[in-house]
Amino acid sequence: MQTGNFPAKIYSGCANVAYSCVLNSASPPTFWSKMNKLRKLTVIGCVAALATFGVAACGGDSDDSSSSSASGGGGGDINVTMSSFPDYVDPQLSYTVEGWETLYNVYTPLLTYKHAKGEDGTEVVPGLAEAMPTVSPDGKTYKLKLRSNMKYSDGTPIKASDFTYAIQRLFKANSGGSVFYEPIVGAKEYADGSAQTISGIVTDDATGDITITLTEPNGTFESLLGLPFAAPVPPSTPLDKDATNAPPPASGPFKITAVQAPQTMTLERNPEFKTVKDAGASEVADANVDKITITQNKSNTAQVTDIEQNRTDYMSDPPDADRLAEVKSRFGDRFRMENSINTYYFWMNNQQAPFNDIKVRQAINYAIDPEALNRVFGGRLHASQQILPPGMPGYEEFKLYPGPDMAKAKALIAEANPADKNITVWTDDEPDRKRIGEYYHDLLTQLGFNATLKVISGDVYWATIGNQSTPDLDTGFGDWFQDFPHPDDFFRPLLNGASILPTNGNNYSRANYPDLDAKMNELRTKQLTDPGVKEGYAALDKAYMEQAAWAPYGNEEYTTFLSERMDFDKSYRHLLFSQDFTSFAVK
Amino acid sequence: MAAPFTEVEVADEPPLPTGVPVARIQGRSPWYLAALRMRRNKVALAFGVLFVAIVLLCLCAPLWADHVAHTTPDANHITDTIDVGGKQVDIVAPDGTPIGPGLRGQYLLGADQNGRDVMVRLLYGGRTSIFIGVTAAAITTVVAVIIGMLCGYYRGWIDAILSRVMDVVWAFPVLLLGIALGTALAVGGLSLGFTTLAGDSVWIPILIIGLVYVPYMARPIRGEVLALSQKEFVEAALAQGKGPLRIMVTELLPNVVSTIIVFFTLNIANNMLLESALSFLGAGVRPPSASWGTMIADGYQTIYTAPHLTIVPGLMIVLTVLSLNVFGDGLRDALDPRAKIRLEH
Repeated sequence: MQTGNFPAKIYSGCANVAYSCVLNSASPPTFWSKMNKLRKLTVIGCVAALATFGVAACGGDSDDSSSSSASGGGGGDINVTMSSFPDYVDPQLSYTVEGWETLYNVYTPLLTYKHAKGEDGTEVVPGLAEAMPTVSPDGKTYKLKLRSNMKYSDGTPIKASDFTYAIQRLFKANSGGSVFYEPIVGAKEYADGSAQTISGIVTDDATGDITITLTEPNGTFESLLGLPFAAPVPPSTPLDKDATNAPPPASGPFKITAVQAPQTMTLERNPEFKTVKDAGASEVADANVDKITITQNKSNTAQVTDIEQNRTDYMSDPPDADRLAEVKSRFGDRFRMENSINTYYFWMNNQQAPFNDIKVRQAINYAIDPEALNRVFGGRLHASQQILPPGMPGYEEFKLYPGPDMAKAKALIAEANPADKNITVWTDDEPDRKRIGEYYHDLLTQLGFNATLKVISGDVYWATIGNQSTPDLDTGFGDWFQDFPHPDDFFRPLLNGASILPTNGNNYSRANYPDLDAKMNELRTKQLTDPGVKEGYAALDKAYMEQAAWAPYGNEEYTTFLSERMDFDKSYRHLLFSQDFTSFAVK
Repeated sequence: MAAPFTEVEVADEPPLPTGVPVARIQGRSPWYLAALRMRRNKVALAFGVLFVAIVLLCLCAPLWADHVAHTTPDANHITDTIDVGGKQVDIVAPDGTPIGPGLRGQYLLGADQNGRDVMVRLLYGGRTSIFIGVTAAAITTVVAVIIGMLCGYYRGWIDAILSRVMDVVWAFPVLLLGIALGTALAVGGLSLGFTTLAGDSVWIPILIIGLVYVPYMARPIRGEVLALSQKEFVEAALAQGKGPLRIMVTELLPNVVSTIIVFFTLNIANNMLLESALSFLGAGVRPPSASWGTMIADGYQTIYTAPHLTIVPGLMIVLTVLSLNVFGDGLRDALDPRAKIRLEH
């Protein structure tokens, strides 16, 4: 990082002033000798104070200039804060927004997602592979070729077999992402230990050829190849262990140089990334800044204040509702709202009274007031009443239950006349979610239910409601952020009957509609670009909402809030990986 | 000016308050003397009156809710508006900022982020907080007196076992123990054999708070009973053929009752503080029910834009706890001026 000459000049200038003050005050001996003790002390005190003040002021300038020294030619060090540290600093294990935001620019998979804002960023493009895969006519075989002469950040050559090793790690290290790669032939056998390798992946390190065979056609597979889960790592990475404390060497624009989980982590420009660029990976963006220091800070309001006062350059989370208005009005030149692909909804147990009655579920959809919930979110909610969010392929806007219409909702409840009116409403203890739960509890009370609100810790919320043995799982808060830009990600884990699992299930509504499951399975065997597939997902969205399987109410907007010294116009939020760290630039 | 009356000198007793004629004091019961002392402690009395006033105010919650605010403590009014100076104003602005306090019947102390009337929630929350404080103190007192009596009177293995159990409970910091129990019971509730308490029942924090403070009260009572059981009047009762239960109830209990009363009063204040802390941390009163602790927990996130959500319930906790503590100290001075009763933990 350049520190520049400017601060040094300032410093010496200040010192000269102080020095000359001393000289001047001391030089006329006759005048000095005539001064009484008190005056001498006063003069010495003033000079000392001036000198101290001058040095301190120069010190301040020095700090400021070091941060702005990178102006012009890129570079510079920046500070980033996150409310939660990444779950793992390991591409095969990380499965949180914070983790993917960081690792997207550290590990490059064979395919990757375009470095672009908006929907352009959901396009899968070649990463370490020379080109997009060649898919066999039956849709089961994918052929790729690794670019040649690429190196990891430690100088180790990147080999085709590193991809196999990465997929093997998913299964041996019990990654949450392993389920996506089970359709690879031999993956299950490798996972259960009955095979030594994954037979469906064949690689040739000499030529860079990689052939992947699937058990059945899978329209999501290209998207899956672009996730950090599938990023090649060298065999020096532990096969069955979390590598957070010594992350594998990087293949992206940044490398991780220090990790003190869960407090801080440092990313620095990866000098070996030029080998990836030289190999032709033009779609993978290069870094603008030299160093990013990521620090966990649990206080959202402290993070806001730090950015306002330019002590931090970017905060990963949106400002809390009470600071949002202030930030919007005072810092409009470095704050903006950003789209994010997610859906917020209330799940209702479709298999248990009273929500096993479609009229009750429809009544809830009629009764919900998205504007009320928008105000709970501090104005960051885009109202919606469907499963697929805007920006997701297959999204076609519709609203089957216009409202809020309490009269219609009460009429439907009266028609259904449920025998069981005792309902347990589940939510977690994060501030906005607790308020959402309180709103929903009041709504159900107004509809004549005897509702009980159960607020549990966010750490255990999903595991608790995803466990079939938990009693009174009637209805509650739910949200879903896309794993990859394919509509199947919003249906299969959340609404497919096969996703009703004893533990760690995501189908909280216990939705089980065999005809819709069949449609979903059929759509997955096709590519999104095939004719009628996007329309098929739009129809599936509508079909589930005709069953009122959920009560969706909106899509949350995220934010970008940067310090004054950051180039606000260059930075953008990626729809999958949050802020794209390669877009960070110092003015 | 010379003192108009002579102070009464009582052996082993500190001087009685001035201004009381000797003739009125001689031959009076200890309770009468305590009342005389209490009457002279104007500050303690003033805070006692303040506590009674707060209790009465909270008891009037339904009246305020029905006839002035026209809402209930849990009713959300996020998208509603109210008339302020002839203009319709959002109760919760589109950016999520709730309306602040103002001189009007509805939303006198403003609204929270769910559009609920803070004044109504404050009064209902006060009922919850005071109910928990008093009921938990009653549970603590009953259990602590029984344990203290048994340990102090019987000593031996009964004392050894019960005291060790008390030591175990004492070893845990009160707040941590409360959080651990509150969190553990939040999902599944508590089965007591004859009845089951739901996880959101107000009796869960009452039982938790009531039980975690037992050792802090049982040990001093045990100490007093231990000393009293060596006294001649207990030996005389034994000689008269009185059984252990009768001795404990008729001889020992009256001698520790002043300690119990003082502890009970101070314990209410401590219980209210613990309830607030537990509710703030999500292990006490369950939302959407209001208590002063849950109100602070709901409000602290908006301290910049809606400080009234935190300040108002915080102020009520301070006033109530202060009034109970000052009154309790006065009561202690009146009932047993030699005592150094402190509810320390």
